[in-house]
Amino acid sequence: MKRRAILAFMLDRPGVLNKVSMLIRKKMYNVDTLTVCSARKPGLSRMTITLREDDPTRVAQVISQLEKFTEVVSVKELDTDHSYWREVAIVKLEIEGLHLESFQGRYNFEILNQQENEICILQVAGSTRKIDAFLEEIGQEHIIEIARTGVTALEK
Amino acid sequence: MTGKELLLRALKNKGVKFVFGYTGGAIMPVFDEMDKQGTFKFIMSRHEQGAAFMAQGISRASLSTDEPQIGVCMATSGPGALNLVTGIADAYMDSVPIIAVTGQVATGVIATDAFQESDVVGVMLPISKQTYMPLHAEEVEQSVHEAFYVATTGRGGPIVLDIPKDVQNQPVSENYRFDARRFRPQLPGFFIHPTPAREPLQQAIELINRSERPVMFCGHGVINSNAGQLLQEFAEKVNIPVAFTLHGLSAMPADHPLSLGMMGMHGTVEANRAIMEADLLIAFGMRFDDRVTGKLNEYAQNADVIHVEIDPSEIDKNVATSVAINADVYRTLHVLLGDPMLTYKPRRRWLEKIAGFRQVMAEDLRQEIEAGVGEGGKLLMKSIIHQLSEVTAGKDLIVADVGQNQMMAARFYNYQTFNSWFASGGAGTMGCSLPMAIGVKLARPTERVWSISGDGGFQMNAQELGTIMEQQLDVKMILLNNGYLGMVRQWQSLFFDGRYAGTPMQSPDFGLMAQAYGIPYRRVETLAEVAPALQAAIDHQGPMLLEFICDPSELILPMVPAGGGFEEMMVKRPQPVAADGGKP
Ligand SMILES: Cc1ncc(C[n+]2csc(CCOP(=O)(O)OP(=O)(O)O)c2C)c(N)n1
Ligand SMILES: [Mg+2]
Repeated sequence: MKRRAILAFMLDRPGVLNKVSMLIRKKMYNVDTLTVCSARKPGLSRMTITLREDDPTRVAQVISQLEKFTEVVSVKELDTDHSYWREVAIVKLEIEGLHLESFQGRYNFEILNQQENEICILQVAGSTRKIDAFLEEIGQEHIIEIARTGVTALEK
Repeated sequence: MTGKELLLRALKNKGVKFVFGYTGGAIMPVFDEMDKQGTFKFIMSRHEQGAAFMAQGISRASLSTDEPQIGVCMATSGPGALNLVTGIADAYMDSVPIIAVTGQVATGVIATDAFQESDVVGVMLPISKQTYMPLHAEEVEQSVHEAFYVATTGRGGPIVLDIPKDVQNQPVSENYRFDARRFRPQLPGFFIHPTPAREPLQQAIELINRSERPVMFCGHGVINSNAGQLLQEFAEKVNIPVAFTLHGLSAMPADHPLSLGMMGMHGTVEANRAIMEADLLIAFGMRFDDRVTGKLNEYAQNADVIHVEIDPSEIDKNVATSVAINADVYRTLHVLLGDPMLTYKPRRRWLEKIAGFRQVMAEDLRQEIEAGVGEGGKLLMKSIIHQLSEVTAGKDLIVADVGQNQMMAARFYNYQTFNSWFASGGAGTMGCSLPMAIGVKLARPTERVWSISGDGGFQMNAQELGTIMEQQLDVKMILLNNGYLGMVRQWQSLFFDGRYAGTPMQSPDFGLMAQAYGIPYRRVETLAEVAPALQAAIDHQGPMLLEFICDPSELILPMVPAGGGFEEMMVKRPQPVAADGGKP
């Protein structure tokens, strides 16, 4: 199913996240990712939700019902052609330093911590697909733990 | 001043006259203050659900009067608040503005699972338009004013104010000021568009002028925006027949030549067949729910749809529109009526065709109403409602419950008074009628109010007979007793091989019950007694309970089976299938 990103600005108040997630549950979606941060305007939060849906009218329904909440100031769908969708992953690995360096050129990660026993913590940012590819190439056998932020998105 | 005083000051400022409720630990300070001040008429319900429906009755019935009021109900924390849930969810589904005030445990113990603590805001979030939990006395007044604004602006809905006990008692600082007249809620995310945009209006007019087989739809929005008169003028001006949703009934006289009656699952043949063949639907203030449309992908396939609706999230939700007008119904009709481009058409062929649809069931219904009893000799509900309509000239206020009794009351009362039909539509809550009728009577004291229930629904909130007794309320009660949960029985006889699982019901002696509450009572078993009994209730000053012994096998027809298309509309009782499974 097609992955969709919904960007919403809302009042930074307790209970608003609750309302948004309840609505999405009521509409029978399983949220793929959900990220919240403070918006530029004080008192507002900026939320990016991704979920899977092929039918554009159903997404429009979710958006118009989100808009109805008095705390939600604006909502829209972002499409991949006209916006950047990015996430960050922090990965703990057990890997040989030299082997790791061979990925540096393509994935441009930042090493946060590296110990002599080949345990390394690094951070990599990019599209979901890029991070998936990175993890794939590194190989599951090297990975101890992964923390991913989920998608945040910005219109071009 | 304290939180509780500010709460009451704000309610008074908003024109509240009645408070319905039930006390308990966490709301005691407010009740105490209310008693001290004597500002409101307090009406004690016998169950909090009753209080919520009474509040609905006030809001629904008063909106068309010179003094619209918003119904207010109050309950204590925990079980008290939770008992309001059904009434609030019902108001939410039917877009009825009410204010529910609940006491909450003190802020110091919130989230410790204190005695009678429940997460009221959490429970109410998905079933109310907005919730407030003021944590300081300073926030109370503003929350109430904002609550009224949100409840009544745009599409109406219930608001919950959950006020911790210590906040009720907390004094505000000396510098506290609140100017109710100057107050404007700061709601950057609250948008309404009451005025119709020019462009879609033009497109709508073009479609209307071009159409050959148009049908207008009258929904709850017509009642809520007090636009009945305008709708009728518009229908007459363009000569287009009007079908009604359950909540659109009584917006226009039911016997108007352009009226098609109710549409949908138990709608009339003429409404449903006209919709099937229409080339244009013009919907005013409605949401195309499944009881109205039946199977969506078979619904009005050849019609363009003009949808006038104040809530933008209802547009294109179930039915794709050709022209969307996100605006207030009253204003839209007002602008449309003034537009010189709009033309009258005789539509002779279309109206003749519809006249044919009207004949499909007319003779059967006429005969049934005249016979008045079913095969077993018991009374038919439709005949009782028909007679009620006759003796009251269709002018009274009707508050129906849920079930066959409701559909009969919707179909066979000849509504003449604007906003005279009250029922639970979206939620279909059994037991709503008795308490809602109490609110309706208080809002419209000079008009006669009839509560119509089945034996099932009557017993769901029968405790409110106590409220009627205590307040000496002149509510006429019609109990259509068929010994069954009749509507479910109807489905069982049509779709479950006549196996009556969980629907036969033993009832108490309703005469003794009425007597226990000091309410006069009559039991009616024959056709000849029906009109005199109704007249006796009219002549009696005060409440009266009339119990009619009804035929359990009566069906409300037509019926579009749930999930079916209008093609499948049943207009006749299906013939019983022979025991060997062969054709009858
Ligand atoms: C609170 C509630 N519970 C269950 C139902 C399901 N239901 C709808 S109609 C009906 C039967 C109503 O029986 P009665 O009140 O006797 O009315 P009748 O249909 O016989 O006129 C039932 C059980 C409901 N609508 N509301
Ligand atoms: Mg019954």
